[in-house]
Amino acid sequence: MRTFFFREAWRSFKQHRGLGITAIFSLSAALSLCGLFLLLTHNADTALLWIGDRREMVIYLKDDVSDARRDAVIESLRRLYGDVTYVSKDQAWKEFVEQVGDPGLLDAVEQNPLPASLRVKLRPELLNYPSMEEAAQQVRQFPEVEDVRYGAEWVRRLDELGASLRRGTLAVGALVAIAIVFVIYNTIRLTVLARRPQVEIMSRLGATDRFIATPFVIEAVLEAAIAAALALGVLFGFRHAVAAQVVGVVFLPPAWGLAFMGGAIALAWIAAVFAISRVLRSVGP
Amino acid sequence: MISFEQVTKRYGQRLALDSLSWRMDEGECVVFLGHSGAGKTTLLRLITHEIQPTSGTVTVGTFRGGRLSRPQRALLRRTLGIIYEDFRLLGDRTVFENVALAVRITGRFEESDVIPRVLYALDEVGLKSMQTAYPSELSAGEKQRAAIARAIVNRPAVLLADEPTGALERRSADEVLALLRRIHGEGAALLMVTTRQEVADAMNGRVLRIEEGRRPDGEGLAPEATSAPAFDAAQAPPPALDVAPAPALDAAPADSALDAAPAPVPAADSAPAPEAS
Repeated sequence: MRTFFFREAWRSFKQHRGLGITAIFSLSAALSLCGLFLLLTHNADTALLWIGDRREMVIYLKDDVSDARRDAVIESLRRLYGDVTYVSKDQAWKEFVEQVGDPGLLDAVEQNPLPASLRVKLRPELLNYPSMEEAAQQVRQFPEVEDVRYGAEWVRRLDELGASLRRGTLAVGALVAIAIVFVIYNTIRLTVLARRPQVEIMSRLGATDRFIATPFVIEAVLEAAIAAALALGVLFGFRHAVAAQVVGVVFLPPAWGLAFMGGAIALAWIAAVFAISRVLRSVGP
Repeated sequence: MISFEQVTKRYGQRLALDSLSWRMDEGECVVFLGHSGAGKTTLLRLITHEIQPTSGTVTVGTFRGGRLSRPQRALLRRTLGIIYEDFRLLGDRTVFENVALAVRITGRFEESDVIPRVLYALDEVGLKSMQTAYPSELSAGEKQRAAIARAIVNRPAVLLADEPTGALERRSADEVLALLRRIHGEGAALLMVTTRQEVADAMNGRVLRIEEGRRPDGEGLAPEATSAPAFDAAQAPPPALDVAPAPALDAAPADSALDAAPAPVPAADSAPAPEAS
């Protein structure tokens, strides 16, 4: 019986192939747009994660802090915020000299003015602006601490950029979802109406709504699956073209691709069921 | 099996049926004879629940009155075999596929069971050799025989025929009527509506006249007709059928009535079944 429904779906598609192909291309266009945003978001997320991994909080210590007090502070920071690396005054000066490059420029400096510092690599859950700001406030309360820096404005903007991209993807995703439902709903509605005499005969013979609807639903699901596959192909080609210009552009992970396809199919299924249940009621008793 | 109790049907202001009461029993042949617009097709549409009566009660087997849900209505229709004047075959399918559709619609048979049932029905109507033909390749008489094969393939308890010879020339009409008589003779109840006296006479059944939605002679209005209980399959006499028994028209719990007739095995010289495509 299952093969019968697939044969019926194929028969319907063949008989109204113009309608079906139009639907596939319309869906492909909408899904490509959605996929493009998904690809951008994924790449932005990947980039932000990479940048986020490099985020750290630098805590400058007062010069008169004893080794014992310093070790106590390190232990507290490690427990509360993440991995801590101690940079002594000498090490800081050495790094500074290396960065300047020409030691002659620093001849006038008689005494090392740089403080010792602690570099904290924050835990992943703290890698956002509000958490980093709160952590900095807390650390500033330590009597051993001279100052805390973590590039607050930079972190805030990075977070805002990530959030904006996610919001944009969601908005485009919602619009595309509506477009999918609209296209499938109208395609199936037109297909069923074009086959109205056949549907009526089936109904007179005692076919249940499910029996009549199943081939149309299969047709819609197949159209959505083909459209999603085409859209993924377009995105893959796009990524390939862009990767030649921009280093580090990645394609969607397999799980995202499957979710993308699954989402399109689920929406098509819902739209088809909705369309055909309405049309069947209008076709007659 | 089927009874109408004081059934009235109006389409807006127009009165199609006026307090019509009648009944038919299992295995009976009833022919409604009346001119065009007398209410004959309305009567059939009430039986198949395409429309609802304005008042009165229509009983078909255990489906008694009221508005049926869509699944119930589908179930009711699967227990009937319906033949239309205009055949209502699907033009994009072969004769075999048209008949097979009715089997598949029951949802109770594997693909391997569909083929012998369809071939048997086609053999009964003499169309086995034309199973791969499309309706457009058939004569009107052959189309009607294909429609009859579709109607009988599930062994319904009752056949409804809406002017089955209306679109046929004399010879084809005679063949179709002979076929219907034979099917009725094998046990199936037959309800036919027609405008032609000679068709009614040819069926050798109970002829009920209908004019302007009424029974002019009062026939079928006997008191027992309006108070008869729903048909009880268990108490019904066995049908005189030597091929496959007509099932009882029983709705509960599912379309089990159709199970009454196992698919007959086609003869050994059966033509190979076409692959439905």
